[in-house]
Amino acid sequence: MATILVVDDAAFMRMMLKSILLKSGHEVVGEAENGAVAVEKYAMLKPDLVTMDITMPVMEGIEAVRSIRANHSDARIIMCSAMGQQGMIIQAIQAGAKDFIVKPFQEDRVIESVNKLLKAEGRPVS
Amino acid sequence: MNIDANTSAIERDGKSERSDELLQDILQALRQVVPLSLGVMDPRSEDEEWQDEWGVLIGVTGDMYGRIVILGEGDVFGRLGESMFGMLLEGDMLHSFVGELANMVTGQAATLVSGRGYRIDITPPTVITGRMHFFGLKNVVKMSVAFERAGELHFIISRDTEGKV
Repeated sequence: MATILVVDDAAFMRMMLKSILLKSGHEVVGEAENGAVAVEKYAMLKPDLVTMDITMPVMEGIEAVRSIRANHSDARIIMCSAMGQQGMIIQAIQAGAKDFIVKPFQEDRVIESVNKLLKAEGRPVS
Repeated sequence: MNIDANTSAIERDGKSERSDELLQDILQALRQVVPLSLGVMDPRSEDEEWQDEWGVLIGVTGDMYGRIVILGEGDVFGRLGESMFGMLLEGDMLHSFVGELANMVTGQAATLVSGRGYRIDITPPTVITGRMHFFGLKNVVKMSVAFERAGELHFIISRDTEGKV
């Protein structure tokens, strides 16, 4: 089981992701509706993993990834965005994201990405 | 994708031919995002007042500056949500889904646009409900789409400046 912070400006998407993650045995320790709140919550909660949207008000996701990784170089972040163009994926990976899931996502794809990242980092997968 | 049979149902003014490609990208994105058959219909006029409907507005920047507006009845959005996620959405969750649907469709369209060598970015969606009347939309292209067993959505693309897309 891993502790996860879910970041998305849409309450609906946070609900969907939370449901998928809980079903697969993980704990959602926090939610954030924009990048700035995500940076604060990451520092406070130190989750094992973050799912991060890109297009959000106040602070967008790629900037939030940079900000989190600047202070926590071991942060594991999966981008979860409707914007799937190659340039955006490259930008996200360069900022420090470990994977990129395009919305609308399949449940299996989310679980696979989370578990693969946890396994790669030597954490037990539920 | 072949929408040639439907192009007569897409209305445009003289300056917005290039928006047609974006409209076709939006149609393809709809087919990728929503698991229901769809058909393009004659567009509804944006000059008339929209009542008791839901609207979502997304700004477009980059190689095109403009706005995309999606309009429809709340029930239609609800049925689309049910087809995509298997649950009936109501209240705040339906409101949130409407914005997210627009985000997913325009995000997919932006990905298709990037395949033609252009880049567009989108702003977070703004969801509007109630009586609406639109003023100041420029270089408008519009279409209406009917989804099997769900109902109709109406699309308006407005280009503020001459861009590449």
